[in-house]
Amino acid sequence: MEINNIKSIWQNASANSKSELELKRMTNVINHPSLKKIRTKFLIETISLTFFLFIYYDWFEGNTKPFYLNSLLATILLAYILNDVFGYFLISRPIRGENLKISIEKYYVRIKRLSVYSLSISFLYGTVMIYYFSSGLIFNNKKLFILAGIVIFLLLMTYFSYRTWNRWIKSLKIQVNEFISDGIN
Amino acid sequence: MNDKMEKEFLKTILDNQSIIYKICRMYRDSKEDQEDLYQEIVYQLWKSYPSFKNESKVSSWIYRIALNTSMAVYRKSKLIIEYYEDFPEHIHPSGEEIVSENEERLFSAFRFLSDFEKAIISLYLEDFNYQEIAEITGLTENNTGVRISRIKNKLKKILG
Repeated sequence: MEINNIKSIWQNASANSKSELELKRMTNVINHPSLKKIRTKFLIETISLTFFLFIYYDWFEGNTKPFYLNSLLATILLAYILNDVFGYFLISRPIRGENLKISIEKYYVRIKRLSVYSLSISFLYGTVMIYYFSSGLIFNNKKLFILAGIVIFLLLMTYFSYRTWNRWIKSLKIQVNEFISDGIN
Repeated sequence: MNDKMEKEFLKTILDNQSIIYKICRMYRDSKEDQEDLYQEIVYQLWKSYPSFKNESKVSSWIYRIALNTSMAVYRKSKLIIEYYEDFPEHIHPSGEEIVSENEERLFSAFRFLSDFEKAIISLYLEDFNYQEIAEITGLTENNTGVRISRIKNKLKKILG
């Protein structure tokens, strides 16, 4: 089969045409398929964590906990919110350079960095929450069993999150390597 | 961004939407994923439109943003079981139904290429010259030539 034949098929390939109104809708982030989900998740998390940050001291007897533990909880909550905001803006901008090579390389570095921040902050957030709410408790077998279950759940969530990030990073890394390679080997 | 700019943008996309559609078909298998990618690309084109100052061809700009978006954005993992052995034997020369069959065969063949290879070959098939492909991809012209030659051979082997 000739390459001109392939070119002709490509250039004349059928296309589903969109109306101007449909295209206009697509320019709005509210109608964006994945950013809409990420935005909703970030908004819910940010609002609920900010709310929690304001009420936890009164509602969960913050005055009975040591100062360092209250500070630690407030710091990790703020870090989680900031990471959400930072992550949203980073993910929503995959175009990072004037050509594909530069853009994919920069995006790869940023996504890799974001994955490290997100995994670390999520794990620390879970750990601090567990520590905060279990500090001062007198543990019996039942409570220890529940605590073990929560810790295992946190570890599993961290592992699955790691796998998801890793899959994305790997696919970007493969592309970066293909751009760097000289094409001979 | 003002109304005038929005109108210009929408006209530009309306005139060139076949490019976006082809890239979506090339990079995503299911209709639903293609539709999602289409929206992502239009959104990214809109975001980058103010920085597009007609310095390059409109088609170069659309290809660059569309390919970049297709390659970079996160994809849900899916278990896809497909068999490719039953490709039609030949590419037929003409006829509406036959063209559709040829198209299917070509887009199925693209699934054997990496994301990087898809980007290079799509630009080549659209008739961009080596210099233009090098500018869009960031490769050198020599490297572009080597890559195109290898991908063409690979594609020919797949299609038979």
